[in-house]
Amino acid sequence: MSFAEPEGRPAKKRRFFEEKSNLLDASLTSSASLPDEIDAFPGTSSTDAYDGNQYSIKKEDPESLDSFQDDFTRDIKPLSGFDKQTFESFIGDKVSSDILGRLREACGSDIERAVNMYFDGSWRNFKKEKIGNSSSTGVMSVNAFTKSLPIVEKNNTATKRSETEVFADITPALRDSMPEHRYIGAFGVGGWATTSGTNLIKHGEVVRIDRQKIQPMRTPISKGRGRTAVNQPPPKANTAAGKRVDVIVRFTNSKGSEIGRLPRETANWVSTLMDQKVCRFEGTCVYAPERIRTNDTIFLQLRCSLLRTAFDNAGFSMPDNRATGMFEEKETSEEKELRLRQVALVKLFDEVNLLPSKTSATTAKHKREGLLQAAEVAEQYERSKAKDVKVESKEVVSLSPPSEEAEDGKELEQDQLDALYKKAQSFDFNAPAAEPAATFAMDLRQYQKQALHWMMSKEKDEKNSDREVSMHPLWEEYAWPIRDMDDKDLPGVRGQDSLYVNPYSGELSLRFPVQEQNCLGGILADEMGLGKTIEMMSLIHSHKSDVWQNMVNPTAVTASVNNLPRLPVNSGNVESAPCTTLVVAPMSLLAQWQSEAENASKDGTLKSMVYYGNEKNADLQALCCEKNAASAPNVIITSYGVILSEFNKVAANGGNRAAHGGLFSLKYFRVILDEAHHIKNRQSKTARACYEIDAEHRWVLTGTPIVNRLEDLFSLVRFLRVEPWSNFSFWKTFITVPFESKDFMRALDVVQTVLEPLVLRRTKDMKTPAGEALVPLPLKTINIVDIELSQPEREVYDHIFTRAKRNLAANMEAGTVMKAYTSIFAQILRLRQSCCHPILTRNQNLVADEEDAAVVADAASGMADDMDLQSLIERFTAETDDSADANAFGAHVLEQIRDEAENECPICAEEPMIEQTVTGCWHSACKKCLLDYINHQTDKNEIPRCFSCCEVLNTRDIFEVVRDDGHPDSKITLQRLGSNSSAKVGALLTSLKTLRNEKPRTKTVVFSQFTSFLSLIEPALTRAAIPFLRLDGTMAQKARTAVLKDFSASKKGVVLLLSLRAGGVGLNLTMAKRVYMMDPWWSFAVEAQAIDRVHRMGQTDEVLVSRFIVKDSIEEKMLKIQDRKKFIASSLGMMSDEEKKLQRIEDIKELLS
Amino acid sequence: MSALPKRIIKETERLMAEPVPGISAVPHEDNLRYFDVTIHGPTQSPYEGGVFKLELFLPDDYPMTPPKIRFLTKIYHPNIDKLGRNWSPALQIRTILLSIQALLGAPNPDDPLAPEVAKRWKDDEQAAIATAKEWTRLHAMT
Repeated sequence: MSFAEPEGRPAKKRRFFEEKSNLLDASLTSSASLPDEIDAFPGTSSTDAYDGNQYSIKKEDPESLDSFQDDFTRDIKPLSGFDKQTFESFIGDKVSSDILGRLREACGSDIERAVNMYFDGSWRNFKKEKIGNSSSTGVMSVNAFTKSLPIVEKNNTATKRSETEVFADITPALRDSMPEHRYIGAFGVGGWATTSGTNLIKHGEVVRIDRQKIQPMRTPISKGRGRTAVNQPPPKANTAAGKRVDVIVRFTNSKGSEIGRLPRETANWVSTLMDQKVCRFEGTCVYAPERIRTNDTIFLQLRCSLLRTAFDNAGFSMPDNRATGMFEEKETSEEKELRLRQVALVKLFDEVNLLPSKTSATTAKHKREGLLQAAEVAEQYERSKAKDVKVESKEVVSLSPPSEEAEDGKELEQDQLDALYKKAQSFDFNAPAAEPAATFAMDLRQYQKQALHWMMSKEKDEKNSDREVSMHPLWEEYAWPIRDMDDKDLPGVRGQDSLYVNPYSGELSLRFPVQEQNCLGGILADEMGLGKTIEMMSLIHSHKSDVWQNMVNPTAVTASVNNLPRLPVNSGNVESAPCTTLVVAPMSLLAQWQSEAENASKDGTLKSMVYYGNEKNADLQALCCEKNAASAPNVIITSYGVILSEFNKVAANGGNRAAHGGLFSLKYFRVILDEAHHIKNRQSKTARACYEIDAEHRWVLTGTPIVNRLEDLFSLVRFLRVEPWSNFSFWKTFITVPFESKDFMRALDVVQTVLEPLVLRRTKDMKTPAGEALVPLPLKTINIVDIELSQPEREVYDHIFTRAKRNLAANMEAGTVMKAYTSIFAQILRLRQSCCHPILTRNQNLVADEEDAAVVADAASGMADDMDLQSLIERFTAETDDSADANAFGAHVLEQIRDEAENECPICAEEPMIEQTVTGCWHSACKKCLLDYINHQTDKNEIPRCFSCCEVLNTRDIFEVVRDDGHPDSKITLQRLGSNSSAKVGALLTSLKTLRNEKPRTKTVVFSQFTSFLSLIEPALTRAAIPFLRLDGTMAQKARTAVLKDFSASKKGVVLLLSLRAGGVGLNLTMAKRVYMMDPWWSFAVEAQAIDRVHRMGQTDEVLVSRFIVKDSIEEKMLKIQDRKKFIASSLGMMSDEEKKLQRIEDIKELLS
Repeated sequence: MSALPKRIIKETERLMAEPVPGISAVPHEDNLRYFDVTIHGPTQSPYEGGVFKLELFLPDDYPMTPPKIRFLTKIYHPNIDKLGRNWSPALQIRTILLSIQALLGAPNPDDPLAPEVAKRWKDDEQAAIATAKEWTRLHAMT
């Protein structure tokens, strides 16, 4: 607890510490430049303990300070070369004499070199002399820290190694023309006093901003926990202390005495900028109380200037192959410095309110706050990992309250994956298309031509040099301010109007960071079935290397000698194979690739070769090298296994690629990884082997670029060599860490930035703007099936209808329509339900979608205890109740009936009968024929008689013959007609049974918006021995998946009962060929979406859709409303709630007209 | 006209494939519901030797309603005026023509359709049979 206090501002209420503070102040004043960090000076002898509070101030041990502490008072011995004054005037700063000495040693009299060395830090390399004592009594200057920052050196080396132009160092000319520091902006800050007294500082007085670093601990004295032993000096000599971060930034008045410190949240980043030689700060006092007491607020304005040195270490470029360190989890100190710098820079630009004049569109989304978060999260991530070790980790700098700790859950949730894909597959249907070359033998669909165009442009990008030079997407451009905070003009620098900042890495640059397109390939991620292979073959034909092109069209008839095939002279090297595309595919697909290659090519235009098994004896290098171009195979097809085994051979051979003469001895024109998720694990040997394949153009094909982890994508990007993302540190910093710390959106956004230019992905579901599918679907026919309600059903319907109409009329008269809206709407619902099944209107156990509200409304409208309705429903139930045991008939009768079933219907001559039905006198006919005949007779007011024997029929004694197809001896049962069944259920069953006769094993989907209706359909299906499954919103995801699996796997003509809401989205039900819509929804779009679950890409047969609509009912009127599409508008949210209600009232009037 | 029901097609096919002896029924080419029918008078009946022409029409709601049949050839018979009673959809063109043929062989004056003919048949059967023979010779033999 006590450690933190000197760093942070004490709370105001702690005035009782004033005495102590004064004591502290006094000591500080007396030696203003003493570092007040106390824990980092092991071995110091002079330790003053303050009031047992473990707070101690040490006089620094000169020995321990010599490498980082400036010394201004030390006399400078006149040496040869330049003098101190000149040098200091160059660099605009004070320089300690030992540094000066070393600079002189290194540069002799060359002052320019010395200045450069000073700024780029390379003078440290010349450190030879053991530096003498230095006492710290002088005034610290703003930038006079000389602690050897590891980052500076490291970055310099990194710069040298850097392959990427963007990160290359600034040209000397540009850098030299930059002033040693340049104004960037100013901001106000409220510092807090660490001293007290009067007239210490006045308005307008210039204050110095000081920075004093503690020295990292070198030799811990005590391994024990110094903290616990209160009296043990030094108290902080434990390992944790070494991890402490000193961020104290103090300000001193013109006399050099410390007045106070910057508040911690400012000091956090200001210290970083000062330490890392990025920025200098000059302060002005804006307001200070006349009499200052400790902890008073003093308002300062800080004027910030970027130092020229800030532009020196422009190297965030990790070594490309950190062979062993690549997968290490821990953040290196180098990375940490970078992160601190990045955070600090973003904070600075935020504070001085400097906005970028230009950002890349792709990264515009990445708000600066987000970047800060990402960096902080990284810190917390590290911390939480080390928490058990670091007792005092709480003290580590944190810019925000700690968020949740990172968890191990690395896998992407399905919805995240969906969101990601959704972003990645925004395909422009107007994208340009390319015609394949004449040698390509197949026809391409439009979207495939577009893919070809995209792929060709990706491959040819390099040559397309006239394209506008665009800024690297990770960089931002800022204009140098032309006026300072007091609105005074600032001197400009010719040719330097802008500076460039990479807020992702904390780099600064004076030169325009060019976006380098170094990936001449990409990810073709079209969904399975869209023809990735064909698209790739068209690319192979349509974009050939110059060598191949010239060979095919020998425009220049050069001396033939040069073109004669010759074996490579130098077989120790990797040879170029300009005419060859290497295809790596799973073994099972090798043959398919070969046949596709043949089918896609006109005779003799393309040579393909499967490199597998025996074929592997071939010397590929000799075969494919440029000299042998004429006879080289154009496509080599091999497997991942072969790649791996050859990789192992090459590795065993000390990395000599050429010696083996195999796959790795060539640089291909193009390499294609098919089913590239095989390399999703970046640590797998196969993946590493694939990374090593050398090729000019690199492609991966996969339907699932991300299987379940973001790292899956990394491996592809690594294979494609997309800078800078192929660097795992970079990837981790901006994607893995934010993602793992639950900042999903940020991580996914970045992933999208990565994906967007790389990926082409179309799905089968995509539609052109004209609404056409990418791949035409089989026919879909929608029929409206008119349903005639039975008499008792009609009575129930009419009853509810009359009531609803009366209710509406009464409310309209009273002007209370809006008020009674809910109850009217509930009555409409009741009407719709009664069209489906009269029992629905009273079925309160089974909760339909709108049921709950309706029940309440029923109570209000009096329908709940409506005796008339009740009796009507009862009558319906009585007439349809299957109380008699229809199966109590003699076995003989049943046998006869069963045998008869194969005969033709005596009425319609259908053979076999459709829904065989028997009369009480055991005569069979189709159900429809029999019922039609009965109706025919009753219409003529005749007593219904048997069609065959003219016996008088009891209409209750008509039975449907139900055969259980699953039963081995085709057992039959008799089912009294119309049991508990409504007209709609009857119609559905009739249709399903017909289907079963005509096309057995056809799968069917039945949609209803009322789950309770589905529950009524179920027993009817059971009785008819029709197998069914059910899926509705009440089921858990797991259960749903199981149902869909069963539906897909079943060999029978299964019916899937699906609630409109649960089944409307996402499901793929292409195994079904028939759809029944049991009831209409207000908007047909909802129904259409449901139908499209079946009629979508992958559907191979014609889809027949039946919509059951009750004649002369509210359902027919709903269809009219659907046509007007008003409800679509309202459901799209284009109307306010009130407007929606009004609109619906209009509709209701029409419904009840 | 709506498509011909399966039943009519099947019946027609069967009439063609397995004609009933003494009966022919040929649908009109332009209206498959309209049949030209000829029935040979049964042996040992007053109508022996006669060939009776009839027309048969299947109405739209056939077989719910019976076919309409009319004698084109004049015939003296107690039961023949119009047909249609006791129709059931289980009956067919074939069965109805067979029953007409049977009626020719066994006139039933107790269930008359032509009351005057029936009365005569009852009062003076010989005279009635003679008239029937005469009519057959006059109208049904060409």
